Amino acid sequence: MLFGPTGCGGWSWGRRSAGPIGLGDGNRQDPALSGNGRLLASIVERGGRETVILQEQPSGRLLPLGPLQRQQPHRSPSLSWNGRYLAVLVQQGSRRLAVIEDRATGQLQRLPLPADSEPQRLSLAPDGRRLAIEVVRGGRSQVQMFDLAGLLEPDLPGGLPTTGGGLGGGVPATGKP
Amino acid sequence: MTMLRRSPGRRVSLATRNVTGVGSIRRRCLSLLHLGWSGLGCLSLLALGLGGCMAGMPTPMAGLDRQLEQAGNSRAPALSGRWLALIAGRGGRDQVLLVDVERGLPVPLPGLNRPDAQPMSVAVNREGNRLAVVRQLDGRTELVLYRRELMALEPIAMQPSGVPRRISLSGDGRQLAVEVSRGGIWQIDLIDIP
Repeated sequence: MLFGPTGCGGWSWGRRSAGPIGLGDGNRQDPALSGNGRLLASIVERGGRETVILQEQPSGRLLPLGPLQRQQPHRSPSLSWNGRYLAVLVQQGSRRLAVIEDRATGQLQRLPLPADSEPQRLSLAPDGRRLAIEVVRGGRSQVQMFDLAGLLEPDLPGGLPTTGGGLGGGVPATGKP
Repeated sequence: MTMLRRSPGRRVSLATRNVTGVGSIRRRCLSLLHLGWSGLGCLSLLALGLGGCMAGMPTPMAGLDRQLEQAGNSRAPALSGRWLALIAGRGGRDQVLLVDVERGLPVPLPGLNRPDAQPMSVAVNREGNRLAVVRQLDGRTELVLYRRELMALEPIAMQPSGVPRRISLSGDGRQLAVEVSRGGIWQIDLIDIP
């Protein structure tokens, strides 16, 4: 990494592209770093549907996902501190739902939302204790907060990193998760 | 935990099947199901009454939600630590807000918001002292880093050049992931911040 003053008086910061995923040069969107910065979730297109992928950084190694990988299209991923929890919006029929995959157990939890609210974006607190969801209701955009205490075990700094998806270890970057 | 694997409608069905003696509450909840958050609140009451059967419901943070509503339309939430960063405003004049979730209060961000800028996305670190913001200003889109303790704003150039959109900041605020459009393709850059 190169850090140093530039001619403009600013700083030249270390930069890199997110690790290769072996999927060609298609779009990659919606980046979400885990709290510890070791995992990156993003959205790529697979089979014509937006699909969340999870990578270790900086190696770019793809990590497997559990039941979430069958719930495309995905949108707006968000990770907890060690990456134990991956929250994302999924589409089921005409409804868009917020779900959280617990990568330590492989369980997928669906979060109930009122039928008249269309979720647009979400953010999971790194410790897993709160969730913020941007919804559109009656043409108005609004951020709603939820307390997840009692629902998720905290994922705190210093905890063990989660490398599996309830299905075993990671897979090479060129493979399919 | 198990209950959250079911749709809201199915959850209520399970509750009605397993519970007797709470008929009036049950009927009210069923009638509220289509009324939005009030229905969820009622379900939470049912959860209290049912003990472990309904444990594990996400609980709406009604007090904070009311405060956010008062800020007008709100969008692009980003949680980290005790902080919620978001974009809120009325009449097309949006600004970045940083809310201390535990106190339910916004904190000042001197020097960050300006009336001629339109914020598009925001991210915050765990300490709440670094915010990354993508905003439109003077007809172009730029990424800036705001250091709250210094009240200082610093541009982060895209290299190679591109148009930033969504961002994510690590908990320590030293890694930034940026969605960037280059040549019609969306890419993700990772930037280390000193």
